[in-house]
Amino acid sequence: MLNQTLNGLTSGAIYASIALALVLIWRATRTVNFAAGAMGMLSAYIAFSVIDHGGGYWLALAAALGSGLVAGAVVERVLVRPVEAKPPLNAVIVTFGLLILIEAAAGMIWGETSRGFPAHFSVRGLYIGGEAVALSPFDIFVIAAVVTMMALLVVLFRATNLGLRMRAAAFRPEIARLLGVRVGRMLNLGWALASMVGALAGVLIAPKVFLSPNMMDAPFVFGFTAAVIGGLDSPIGAVVGGVALGLVTSYVGGWSALGPSLEVMGAFVLLIAVLMVRPQGLFSGIKPRRV
Amino acid sequence: MLAVEGLTTRYGEIEALHDVSFAVPEGSITAVLGPNGAGKTTLLRTITGLVRPERGRVLYDGHDLTRLHVEDVVRCGVAHVPEGRSVIQELTVDENLRLGALWRADRADRRRALAEVYDLFPLLRGRRRRPAFTLSGGESQMVAIGRALMSRPRVLLLDEPSLGLAPLVVAQIMAMLRDLSARAGLTVVLVEQNATTALSIAGQVVVLYLGRVVLLDDAERVTNDATLRRHYLGF
Repeated sequence: MLNQTLNGLTSGAIYASIALALVLIWRATRTVNFAAGAMGMLSAYIAFSVIDHGGGYWLALAAALGSGLVAGAVVERVLVRPVEAKPPLNAVIVTFGLLILIEAAAGMIWGETSRGFPAHFSVRGLYIGGEAVALSPFDIFVIAAVVTMMALLVVLFRATNLGLRMRAAAFRPEIARLLGVRVGRMLNLGWALASMVGALAGVLIAPKVFLSPNMMDAPFVFGFTAAVIGGLDSPIGAVVGGVALGLVTSYVGGWSALGPSLEVMGAFVLLIAVLMVRPQGLFSGIKPRRV
Repeated sequence: MLAVEGLTTRYGEIEALHDVSFAVPEGSITAVLGPNGAGKTTLLRTITGLVRPERGRVLYDGHDLTRLHVEDVVRCGVAHVPEGRSVIQELTVDENLRLGALWRADRADRRRALAEVYDLFPLLRGRRRRPAFTLSGGESQMVAIGRALMSRPRVLLLDEPSLGLAPLVVAQIMAMLRDLSARAGLTVVLVEQNATTALSIAGQVVVLYLGRVVLLDDAERVTNDATLRRHYLGF
């Protein structure tokens, strides 16, 4: 039970960061970035290349985060801004197309086979009171990294003038423009930060699931589910949804011999349950509409 | 001086403004009146660039405002208080106000401006950290106006500031506008459906009907001429 909880918290942290990346983009441009996972995968490959060429882990991590920032900014400016004012389906098609493009490109550059990715800390479970627990130094690092990232984002958004301008640009872009806020730049920065979060998720998950172009497919689905559960417009919802989903899939997965194949089922059940009770998401401020 | 010249604005098939021209002298108050759908809101939105005109221009301080990005208009000294509830609900009163001046680099002056706005609207001091969605209509409008004043504008455009407000609050706001105009030389363009309120402080009146200027005259003359008033303003 304890092991499943610890396991759930670690994967929950990853799902929460993917969900958070999706929520940040949703709040900025009212689009779902279906390529969020793939962009994170790309950043993980860039980190891998740095290590492969002799760079240290921290340099590789910095390179991944930096490439995430750049990728987010470029994608928003070049691909998303032209379709921002158009029907939502256009943005869906664009980001889906980008997902396919990035996965194909990664396959061509680095090959389709899975590779190992170094975890800078030990992945062996710690011993507490003589018993091995499902929490390794690397797991602690994962949780700490995600929590630190989130804390920094909270400080940025709530305590800085830049964060204030970004929030205004996301909430009421027209009003923000009248007040002199350069809304285009703020939305672009939102995408850049969100992609940086996705890059962190990619680097943190790579040691466990092994680096491959499809590496982020399943985690992305879980992250997206977590975001929907928490409310696509709520950062707190993303975190709660992510952790909840991590815990639920961990408990369900460890429950019987069928375990791992039930994980997805467990996620599905949680999603349906939330959508039936509160379809806009647990922490969302949106009113649901009957169709 | 703010000069509106031959402004024609379309929304698809509909012509919301047709060849609208008038001048607003520096430091004066101009009331823009007319029934619903006359084009008053479209006029303000065209001046500040939220909507692009098909023809015409708006000259201020040597710039054609219609050729600027919206976010640059406030940098020219023109502030716009849009109609309806324009405060950002999710932000606090303080955050809404501070937002108005963030484009200016002088931090000390921004703090001074904030203090001045709280002096102008003492009621808001007790509500500083409250999220804007908890405010009443009157308080919300004070925040919207205060926020516009934070940028130290030379021209202030207001779209129906009195809508939904108690008469006492309306009188307070009108008195404040007249005072600012007289004391600080603020140029005011006031769109109102409530003609009496606007006429009480205006120096000049523009009446729009179906997108065209049908009357452009001295406010005092319009107030005193019953025939003119009844014909164009209905009372």
